[in-house]
Amino acid sequence: MPETKHGDKFIVPIGPQHPALKEPGHFEFTVDGETVTGASVRLGFVHRGIEKAAEERTYIQDLYLLERICGICSHVHAMAFALGVEKLAGVTVPERAQAIRVLVAEMERIHSHLLWLGVAAHEAGFDTLFMYAWRDREKVMDLLEQLCGNRVNYSINVLGGVKEDVNDVIRDGILSAMDYLETRTVLYLKLVTTERTLIGRTRGIGIMEKQTAARLGTVGPTARASGLERDIRLEAPYAAYLQYPARIVTEQTGDLEARFIVRVKELYESFRLIRGILSTLPGGELTTKMPRRIPEGETISRVEAPRGELFYYIKSNGSDKPDRVKVRTPSINNFASVMATAVGHKLADIPMILSGIDPCFSCNDRMVSIRGSEGQQAVDWEELRLYGIEYYR
Amino acid sequence: MANGVYEMMRGLWQTFRSAWTKPVTIQYPEVKRQVSKRYRGRHALKRYANGLEKCIGCSLCAAACPADAIFVEASEQTDENRYSPGERYASTYEINYLRCIFCGLCEDACPTEAIVLEDNYELSFETRESAIYTKDMLLDAVSAPNQPTPRKVKPGSFNRSVPEMKDPVD
Ligand code: SF4
Ligand code: SF4
Repeated sequence: MPETKHGDKFIVPIGPQHPALKEPGHFEFTVDGETVTGASVRLGFVHRGIEKAAEERTYIQDLYLLERICGICSHVHAMAFALGVEKLAGVTVPERAQAIRVLVAEMERIHSHLLWLGVAAHEAGFDTLFMYAWRDREKVMDLLEQLCGNRVNYSINVLGGVKEDVNDVIRDGILSAMDYLETRTVLYLKLVTTERTLIGRTRGIGIMEKQTAARLGTVGPTARASGLERDIRLEAPYAAYLQYPARIVTEQTGDLEARFIVRVKELYESFRLIRGILSTLPGGELTTKMPRRIPEGETISRVEAPRGELFYYIKSNGSDKPDRVKVRTPSINNFASVMATAVGHKLADIPMILSGIDPCFSCNDRMVSIRGSEGQQAVDWEELRLYGIEYYR
Repeated sequence: MANGVYEMMRGLWQTFRSAWTKPVTIQYPEVKRQVSKRYRGRHALKRYANGLEKCIGCSLCAAACPADAIFVEASEQTDENRYSPGERYASTYEINYLRCIFCGLCEDACPTEAIVLEDNYELSFETRESAIYTKDMLLDAVSAPNQPTPRKVKPGSFNRSVPEMKDPVD
């Protein structure tokens, strides 16, 4: 994170517990009057040790555990892990299963983008849009519940395929919901490009040039709004994205308005992909046989989460438990862009700029390093478990 | 200025119109939402049509659980005091709902389809102890003509612990 020297300037600390933040994170903004002159962020408040926990569990258990890294884009985590493990095991997953994975991933993208649209509109003080977006998001959530069993953490992936099938009732439900959402999206696109109160908060705010976006390594819609053509669905097609190619949506201006437009336009892409998948859903099995012990080796697996590139590194030692699982979520890539673009803006614009990258704090917090010699402590899993039991007794 | 007033009126017109439309919200808890058939809510321990418990205390669910939420202890049983088919039954069965992540892996692991995630989502607790559901709380009530478990059965009639099963439909 780019840190700036504070000197004798006035520093506004925000967080980690703050009514305006939905998740814990600590920010320090150096201000001159109302203008921000420096910014730094500290993350790690919701670290859960999930990577370590993954080493103690079997591959099948990890699938469910890793799905819980993020409450919004949970399917992509399970999918990335499953794809990686399947690659290690050298298993070919049936086409129907791959198509259903993509179907759920795109439905998840719709729900995530609508959720973001609501949150961002709320930050801008446009609560009507917030309510509208969240009301429409319920449609997708209900469909996901019908298809997978839960509204979040769908658990539709298993190693070697998917658990649940799409039947005619669900297919018709999804198709009619897509038609409804498409008419709503027309309204949203009109609102984010013409509504004066919203444009006042977004146009020309938080501009990030293409070069800056590339240098800071931004991913996902944040990068695409700055004109960077980055989309794993196209760069390295996984699951069924080869059969159902996505089209990239980019904008050139790189301001908050562009990020609104990119995300809303991506909804259209998702509708198109979902319709395509449902009209030509390949037949066949849902799962294939997976070995319990995964052959020794290491692999990476990348998928395009709603917020950008999600990266998994999996190392196997030949047993039924992974040796190492490393997760890099998109939000951590995008955080640097907040710090870089915040400088020069009014403090009141910061919530908008922050929500512009669609941050997800709990995704980020993978690892903490303990600095300094004091208070340094290493505990193993069993000790931690006993400590937890003792603590809550 | 005139434009601003016009836009404001237009916005208020939307508010006025919405006051007459049917709300999309549900008056929970008076009205409850129907959950889908595949929903994964609180667990239930099932019984056979004859009233015997399906759970044989094999602990496969506890071994599968990614969150270590289940604790099972099995004991021997006889035809005098029969809980479930086979040699053993679950004398203790506890699920800690503070740990459970509702993944449904226990359901997949169970050889007798004894544990099922059902549609109850109203889980809230005041203490950590009350989040641990015991076997009595999880076990389905026994239906009318059947006697409660344990009961006396004809010797040798329930030796097989895992029944023949078909694939589930939904
Ligand atoms: S649903 Fe998952 S976490 Fe909960 S008890 Fe079953 S296996 Fe464990
Ligand atoms: S619920 Fe099923 S898996 Fe768990 S102990 Fe009982 S029979 Fe075994």
